[in-house]
Amino acid sequence: MKRLLSLPYTFVLMNWAAMKALYCYLRGSTVDHLWHDRPAHGHGVHRA
Amino acid sequence: MGDVEIMEIVELVFWLSLAAVGYVYVGYPLLLLGWSRLAARPVRKASYEPRVSLVIAAYNERFNLAAKVDDCLALDYPAEKLEIVLSLDGSTDGTSLVAEECQRRHPEVTVVPTSHHLGKAAALNRGMQAASGEVVVFCDVRQHVDAAAIRELVANFSDPAVGAVTGELMLLDDSHRLAGDGVGLYWRYEKRLRAMESAVHSTVGATGALYAVRRSLLAPLPERAILDDMIVPLRAVLAGHRTVFEPRAQAYDRVCPPELEFPRKLRTLVGNFQLLRVMPQLLDPRRNPVFLQFVSHKVGRLLVPYCLVSLLAANLFLHRPFYVAFLIGQCGWYSLAAAGALVSHRRRQLGRAGARPLEEGGVSR
Repeated sequence: MKRLLSLPYTFVLMNWAAMKALYCYLRGSTVDHLWHDRPAHGHGVHRA
Repeated sequence: MGDVEIMEIVELVFWLSLAAVGYVYVGYPLLLLGWSRLAARPVRKASYEPRVSLVIAAYNERFNLAAKVDDCLALDYPAEKLEIVLSLDGSTDGTSLVAEECQRRHPEVTVVPTSHHLGKAAALNRGMQAASGEVVVFCDVRQHVDAAAIRELVANFSDPAVGAVTGELMLLDDSHRLAGDGVGLYWRYEKRLRAMESAVHSTVGATGALYAVRRSLLAPLPERAILDDMIVPLRAVLAGHRTVFEPRAQAYDRVCPPELEFPRKLRTLVGNFQLLRVMPQLLDPRRNPVFLQFVSHKVGRLLVPYCLVSLLAANLFLHRPFYVAFLIGQCGWYSLAAAGALVSHRRRQLGRAGARPLEEGGVSR
């Protein structure tokens, strides 16, 4: 069920990102702007 | 123009949009599948131990940097042939103190300091200048790199045609298993494409978490470049070399919920637009040996959302049974997406409140 919902959600979100990316690019967003709400820092995941 | 002609145009828009989306997500992978089976170009890998420089750009990584250096020192590669270059980027959290302590404790570590925050591209440029290895490996602070990764990456350079090698980023879920839904599934699809592109010639980009390039092919990145992991490998390809995918060289990261992955994806896609400006030769089939792959994989992804909009808009005006069924299918797809958004939002709220639904094992973020 989770996969059934997350796949179309991810697909739509990624395509929305592509549209917003053109807007950001044309507006001249900098790398810092784009990283403003970057995912949480952290050392990632070590192998289980 | 009569109604019949308008409907013919609408129908044409429908089919062209469907063909474009279908080609990018289904046709191109099938084309690659056939191509890689009929005309694969295997890499002549062999045991090879050149001097390697690991270049790591670090900005405000005070709490992660020491662990990253320990991770690098634990790599299965001769210590006398491994150099770790920590290129700092004007951090404000004391990262430079941690870096200097690492340098004092470990002779393999070189710190490239700076007092100004000029961005990752500038930090990588300074790191490249300090690197002395025959092969330069780029990795991020955040991800854990498998001990065998460097050995597996550099083995590909025994083939003189190979100019750059990308490792494989494994996205794990909260229970440290390979993520199999949403972003994880999307990423696995991407990696399959990369593997097939590598088999026929070159991947059109690398994994920023782990990739390697011959130092002789390195040139300074453009100021404020967003995608070093596209520019560096594609430069190698334009210089007549291959960029190959090495699935045995693995780095690990935690999969994010789609809405947290969004800023990262946005940055990548803006980087793709920037790439078209700084490397226009990529759109010239006479100069780009992976022109078809680049247009199908990267440019196609930038165009698909507009095709999806025109597909839905055209479908609204078409009333024959096939089109009605297709419209119902589209509405169902977007309804599932909306439900997915609600579920994901709800899970994040529960996670923030500290609730741990028993059937899901909790939300760790």
